[in-house]
Amino acid sequence: MIRSDIIRGHLDSIILRLIVEKDRYGYEISKEISQRTDERFQIKEATLYAVFQRLEKKELIESYFGNKSKGGKRKYYRITTLGKAYFRETVEEWKEMKDIIDIFMEGFN
Amino acid sequence: MKKLTQHVNDLFKDVPESEKKTIIVQEVLQNLEEKVWDLMEQGKEEEDAINKAIVDFGDIEELKKELGVTAQSTDEHSKKLKNSKLNLEYSIWGSLLLIGLFVFINFYYSPQVIWFVYPTFGVLWWPLSMYYRYSGLKRGA
Repeated sequence: MIRSDIIRGHLDSIILRLIVEKDRYGYEISKEISQRTDERFQIKEATLYAVFQRLEKKELIESYFGNKSKGGKRKYYRITTLGKAYFRETVEEWKEMKDIIDIFMEGFN
Repeated sequence: MKKLTQHVNDLFKDVPESEKKTIIVQEVLQNLEEKVWDLMEQGKEEEDAINKAIVDFGDIEELKKELGVTAQSTDEHSKKLKNSKLNLEYSIWGSLLLIGLFVFINFYYSPQVIWFVYPTFGVLWWPLSMYYRYSGLKRGA
């Protein structure tokens, strides 16, 4: 499993990506992350809710209550226009950064 | 499931009560329950499933920071703002008195030379600096 402090700065982007695809709720997101990474990265739920708070405060995502499922009502998150634009920019930034870091990391054994 | 509810309430016990907290606690609980059901469907005993959900949940310090500490810091901020407003008012009244004194001495003892303007400029630095501090804090709110 990857060191969580390294991935920490990119959690917002990871979660934004999942919400860009479609509206999702908390457990769905944490499950999706584990599945897509083959369990190589698992997000702590506590961290997840902190990210939701942060993103909602920045108005990158917004929430609404879905239909009653087993138990209580699910709280879904949807992306805002601002969130979409922000995510697009993050992707560009990441590509740029990856190129730069690769210059120094590639080809070393 | 009672154990789960109790655990979540325990986790959030330091967070000051608010509408926001109630909503988050509900959300956390709902998602945890769903996780427990999911784990049970995969063949875990209820007891094990609940324990795993609790362990996986992790440390809520960061979440607390997003929730509680910010409320506290705005409280501190408003106290500072109030204080600096008081300082500003004090400096305005104080400098008016001083300038008045200069004007009085000037016109009473030496009306032929107008010199009170010079110390007035000096004194004005006082309310001016207080004003900048006040407006800076206000903008930071």
